[in-house]
Amino acid sequence: MNGYVEAGYVVVLGTLSVYGVTLITRERAARRRVGAAPGVVRTGVRSAPQATGGDAPVGGHVAVEDEERGSGP
Amino acid sequence: MSGPARTVPPDRAAVAVRVLGVTALAGVVATVWLGLFVTPPDEFMGNLVRLLYVHPPMAWVAFLAYGVASLASLLYLWPRTRAEHFDRLAGASAEVGVVFTGLTLVSGSIWGRPTWGAWWVWDPLLTTTALLFVLYLGYLALRRVPGEIHVRARRSAIGALIAFIDVPIVYLSVEWWRSLHQAPTILNPTTHKTYVHGSMAWTLLLGFVSFTLVYIWLLAHRYRLATLQDLEDTKGLEAALAERRAEAVAG
Repeated sequence: MNGYVEAGYVVVLGTLSVYGVTLITRERAARRRVGAAPGVVRTGVRSAPQATGGDAPVGGHVAVEDEERGSGP
Repeated sequence: MSGPARTVPPDRAAVAVRVLGVTALAGVVATVWLGLFVTPPDEFMGNLVRLLYVHPPMAWVAFLAYGVASLASLLYLWPRTRAEHFDRLAGASAEVGVVFTGLTLVSGSIWGRPTWGAWWVWDPLLTTTALLFVLYLGYLALRRVPGEIHVRARRSAIGALIAFIDVPIVYLSVEWWRSLHQAPTILNPTTHKTYVHGSMAWTLLLGFVSFTLVYIWLLAHRYRLATLQDLEDTKGLEAALAERRAEAVAG
């Protein structure tokens, strides 16, 4: 076909794949550090997470609720 | 500090994001298959036209991402809608937008080398797009400047709105200045005609839809990461405060 065409597709798809995998990896690591329970986490400066006392399993999910509406200065 | 934890349907959002991810992946695979193996070569560009099934969608998604970041920034700055999740959304969308802007520049450069004979030319469209890339990198750097959370969010929101001024300039640069870059072919703003037809048009349309879904999927993950990072910071702060209180009591 054309080396430029293949190179373009490889760069685009490769970059998006690496970025996506990086985000997922960072998200899972952050979830482990926070100790979030799969399913329930309240977030925000004025709120706190539900205590779980342990690490969330890899692949668990965080349903994010924001409660900071109107919390500006 | 803490309120009662409310139980929400645990995996509804996560399942939706997963379904979105699978749909986006299927769309991208179909776009690549149609773009590389099904659509015919162009009369003038030959096989290089196949790069245009990914290059314009990259640019569109970048514009969309910056539009979302600007809207979220406006909502943050507006006192009645001010909320930290708008600040997080703006930051997340801008970061994804920077990735897509970088890919716009690189895929355009790869197309330009065999078409124009140069990897880069200081064309108005390319230059304003490079400026857009730098502006939003600056915005992401601005978000990392330490400060009280609302002060940081407010100055970031203002920065996002200033950076967004370049978006219409990028889009209209081919109309305003003599540009090496071709004018819009899907819907030309001057002639109001479409210059892409048949399987090429459908493949291009699929590319736009698929990469838009990819953007939403990436945005969802980036937003969740930002939320967790904020939560982590809050926990760290609470732990430090508790430690200081314990020291004060002991002392």
